[in-house]
Amino acid sequence: MGKVRVTVDTGGTFSDFVCLDEDTGAISVTKLPSTPDDPSRAIVDGIEALLGGGIRAADIAFLCHGTTVGTNALLEGKGVRTALLVTEGFAGIYEVGEQARPYGAAIFDIMYDKPPLLAPRSLTGEVRERVDFRGEVLLPLDEAALRTTLHALARREPASIAVCLLFSFLHPQHEQRVGAIIAEELPGCSVSLSSEVLPQIREYYRLSTTVINAYLQPILERYLANLDRRLAAAGVATPQKYVMQSNGGMSTFEAAARRAVTTVLSGPAGGVTAGVAACRAVGIPDIITFDMGGTSCDVALIRGGMPFVSSRGKIEGHDIAVPMMDINTVSAGGGTIARASPLGEIEVGPHSAGAMPGPACYGRGELPTVTDCNLALGYLSADNFLGGRMRLDAERARSAIATQVAGPLGMPVARAAEGIIRIIDVKMEEAIKAISTMRGHDLRDFMLLAFGGAGPLHAGRIARALGMAGVMVPLYPGVFSAIGLMMSNVRHDYVQSRMTAIADLTGDAVEAMFARLAREALADLQRDGFAAARIRLDRAVDMRYAGQGYEVSVPCDEDAVRRDGIAGLRRRFDEMHRQMFGHMAPDQPVEVVSYRLCGIGTVSAPPMPKFEPTGAALSDALREYRPARFDGESLVCPVYQRERLDVGLAVQGPAILDQFDCTTVICRGQNARVDAWKNLAITEGAP
Amino acid sequence: MMPAVDAIDLEVVKASLGGIVQEMQNSLYRTGFSTIVRESQDASCALMNERGEVVAQHVVLPLHIGAFPACCAAVIAAFGDTIAPGDAFLINHPYQGGSPHAPDMAVITPVFVDGALFGFCGSIAHKGDIGGPVPGSCSGQAREIFNEGLQIPAVRYHSGHVPNADLERIIAANSRTPELVLGDIRGQLGADRLGEKRLAELVARHGAAKIRACWDRLFEMARARVKRAVAGWKDGRFEAERFVDDDGIELERPVRIHVAVDKHGDSLHFDFTASADQTAGPANIRPPLVQAACAYCLISLIDPHIYVCSGLLQGFSMTTREGSVLDPRFPAPVNTYNPTVHALVDAIFAALSHVAPARARADGSGSRSIILGGRNPVTGCNYVQYEIVAGGAGARATRDGPSGITVNQSNARIAPVEIVETEFPTRLLRFDLIADSGGAGRNRGGLGLRREYLNLEDARFSIRSMKHVIPPSGCAEGLDGRPGDIVINPDGAAARRLPTRYADYPLRRGDVFRLDTPGGGGYGDPLEREPERVLADLREGYITGAAAERDYGVVVVQTEHGPAIDFAATARRRNEGKP
Repeated sequence: MGKVRVTVDTGGTFSDFVCLDEDTGAISVTKLPSTPDDPSRAIVDGIEALLGGGIRAADIAFLCHGTTVGTNALLEGKGVRTALLVTEGFAGIYEVGEQARPYGAAIFDIMYDKPPLLAPRSLTGEVRERVDFRGEVLLPLDEAALRTTLHALARREPASIAVCLLFSFLHPQHEQRVGAIIAEELPGCSVSLSSEVLPQIREYYRLSTTVINAYLQPILERYLANLDRRLAAAGVATPQKYVMQSNGGMSTFEAAARRAVTTVLSGPAGGVTAGVAACRAVGIPDIITFDMGGTSCDVALIRGGMPFVSSRGKIEGHDIAVPMMDINTVSAGGGTIARASPLGEIEVGPHSAGAMPGPACYGRGELPTVTDCNLALGYLSADNFLGGRMRLDAERARSAIATQVAGPLGMPVARAAEGIIRIIDVKMEEAIKAISTMRGHDLRDFMLLAFGGAGPLHAGRIARALGMAGVMVPLYPGVFSAIGLMMSNVRHDYVQSRMTAIADLTGDAVEAMFARLAREALADLQRDGFAAARIRLDRAVDMRYAGQGYEVSVPCDEDAVRRDGIAGLRRRFDEMHRQMFGHMAPDQPVEVVSYRLCGIGTVSAPPMPKFEPTGAALSDALREYRPARFDGESLVCPVYQRERLDVGLAVQGPAILDQFDCTTVICRGQNARVDAWKNLAITEGAP
Repeated sequence: MMPAVDAIDLEVVKASLGGIVQEMQNSLYRTGFSTIVRESQDASCALMNERGEVVAQHVVLPLHIGAFPACCAAVIAAFGDTIAPGDAFLINHPYQGGSPHAPDMAVITPVFVDGALFGFCGSIAHKGDIGGPVPGSCSGQAREIFNEGLQIPAVRYHSGHVPNADLERIIAANSRTPELVLGDIRGQLGADRLGEKRLAELVARHGAAKIRACWDRLFEMARARVKRAVAGWKDGRFEAERFVDDDGIELERPVRIHVAVDKHGDSLHFDFTASADQTAGPANIRPPLVQAACAYCLISLIDPHIYVCSGLLQGFSMTTREGSVLDPRFPAPVNTYNPTVHALVDAIFAALSHVAPARARADGSGSRSIILGGRNPVTGCNYVQYEIVAGGAGARATRDGPSGITVNQSNARIAPVEIVETEFPTRLLRFDLIADSGGAGRNRGGLGLRREYLNLEDARFSIRSMKHVIPPSGCAEGLDGRPGDIVINPDGAAARRLPTRYADYPLRRGDVFRLDTPGGGGYGDPLEREPERVLADLREGYITGAAAERDYGVVVVQTEHGPAIDFAATARRRNEGKP
């Protein structure tokens, strides 16, 4: 046996393991129950199970792990006791936050509350110092007063301290000195400086991000150290051990332990990364990833093989401003509940039956869910779910739909079930439009890449409704995110805000800013073990029309600046602005707000395994014929076992393809072809 | 004949309509030029039917639900049969259209299907400056709308997708910040055009007749939901009043807002006729806004997730009195509408607190804006610095009120200190919550904010605030919140307090001004608040030791582990004065 790569995607219910043999390209997949009290246990158990399967620990050359440890600690309020230091007079920044309520129902909801403070006011200290908007010191740091403040805070025994001083992104020296003094006064206390976590203008977002980092850093550090120990004990000795980050790139254990905040929204990032890899392998540049699971659906746009990254997001109301995959999430999943309102409306979602009690057909819940409708319509096989390990109760599903929806609305169960699916589909279609047509992309150019337990059930109809080019269903849709974890590079993001009118900007000044960021990136990546030849630096500047409140990130490589100068940068900004927002103002003054550099340590990605046809016939994969409902008609359609479909075969819809943890529906008028990577390509028309 | 619409069609179309207005709104936020649209997001988008009634609105500013139909009605009245594809209309006239005040400019575009008018797309966004005597165009001392900036009746802004350049030049010539105003208008137009395109796609998929039928059904549903909820409430006549500090002209005279709610069966009527006469200063609001305030309260009480469309307005009726502050005669000034709307919403909530006690709440801080104008010595350009600052929310029946948060219909983001200082010649000295500003109660009101600024250049300063004289009311024996305040050079001998609304104060370089925003009212008897929660508030700095004893009757002693409750003394203190 040669070298293997192992990836683990820890979910709420299951941890998915994927093991790839680098020599043969063979992939094996394992699912184990997660161990939320200590996720590292399930990981080591899973790896030991793999070792039982003939792999030696020493063969593991690469391990990447998608962790929810930070996310869960944040959602459950189980971070460490965190203190906060702010510029004197500005203790209100954190609690006031944006001051506005989220848009939508919260404006009407008198019971709305802000998210809990991760660093309470009783653990907030003020620092005598002040820097102005040019980065000049107005009031030097009062170190004696700071030590007094720290003595008072020490009595409350914080495990971590976040420091966010005004304009520290221009003048980090005060924060650095504060950090040094904390190290003297409270040795052992974790310190997060806003000028290191996110040297970016707009104090509240920087502060909130820094506080989240401080709140989670000791937890992630302890967790990763623990995992590292367990792995070492199990004999896994590779230095290539990574965790996934929200930006779609990996981080070494060591770097992630310092920047815990970068992992918080990493959950859905693996799927997008896998989508990018799939795009490249198959040669399709434009894809919408469509990851539908039990409670939610994540969609993201990939154009020209590149995913989009956004610079700000929210998790449970907490603002977080690290670069993250631009993923749109809607509450739409297999567990989403449907009901009839007293006025005769159908409401689908946002509530989900979750894993407990789960859909009615799982035998515990009473309320009809999207999964129940998929079963009632004949798409899911009652006796072939999870390879037959779990029997679905079709009668219970029908009865739940009848009692809760069809009966009250006076419509047949089948019509209600089909309607519920249509409604949930429209919600997901709107989520897709929001990231595509809204930004000027033409969906006709895009394939819908469907995965997650429920994605391939819905993708055919959604792609048709949106007029998309077709649907691609990867070979292992149920563990696609875990597969993405082995396709990633190491990636660290660096930002530096410095607002300058473009009229006052020189190419040398731009290069000087990037040179500083590049030095930082190179140092970090070299520490991660990357030689210069394997390091790539991507650069961009955030620009805006003077007075705007929002920036556009304009790619800005060294050659471009040398060749086209600042004027070229300006032209690219106008053009991007027009593309994103429909208009530009070439006569308006423009400002540069921030410089961004993305340091990438390239990890050689394994090729997607390719297959040769074995000559099997379509009929070899046929399991049965059964009726399923399409557009109000019940049609008898073939059910195939996907694993047995040979390369090159085509299936004419209507048809159903079952596989271990996923079912794909081919609508009437569509066909599916098995490509050389055993992806399904679904398009309109006959094969 | 109308095609039949079942629950599934309706839900599908509803989700699509929601997607369209969301998309328009995102586009407007991202394309708007000014900090008001971009950071404060003082803007909203809607789809209307061919009569101008709102069929979908992305709810950012709930008050615009009344403004959109009024603006469309003005466009239809002015242009009728000549409305053609590719047109766009502009209107900001508070009396001819429905803009709450002239800076709220509406861009309306018609949607045609098969050559016939099918509906409208619209957006309303607050402009930083459209001229008039003060930067920001909202003079607290305006006596007519002619003191409130450029007034635009329904005018054709685009014809066949070609802009009327003359109109743009007129607008530009009337603004202190012409690029921002035109940039925002173009951003609005882009959002409308996007809406048109998406609506056309929706019609192509479902057919015009079915979409119309869905729209009618959405109205019916909204009306029915209001009626159904109202039917479950207690019958009777409930009255409440609130007062606005003053109208900006007659500073000693609070303005009375009165509501009598008549509720019988499923019928609900709001009678506002006992409210004060129209004011000389700009405290007046027009009926579209009054109607929107009623709708806002009903949505809060019935279901914050209810689908927002004009059908909600059909679920109740109202009467205003011509010549009153809620139904002024042209050309009475209207620019500072927010204090009146907050008083109106607070009064309606107070009257309806009898019918839905679980959702009762004390009053919050309302909202306020500060506007500075001058010349930026760094850029050499004129600037308008416009900030909206929140205060405390009222306590709820079951929880404390949040601090430093927008309340009622207002929902603007606060301007980041680092952005303000980078763009404008000013420096923040303080940004913090004010201890003891939340009204005491079994549940405490949220805290107000203090923002203190050092002016680095001469500037003209205006404030439009509220509840500086009359504090936010407590509820169910809860105490009032602390009122707001605005003081120039507060720490010097020459300290000067400005009235609640004031226009055009000449700030000098080196002047400091301090804005304190009100705290929310408390809910329930403060002596019933658990001493442990009082102590927690003290530890967190939300209240002082003095207030713990004075307002809550909790006696706190200092121990080596910090403050602790003296339970015996607290029991004695709380029993004083009881029968």
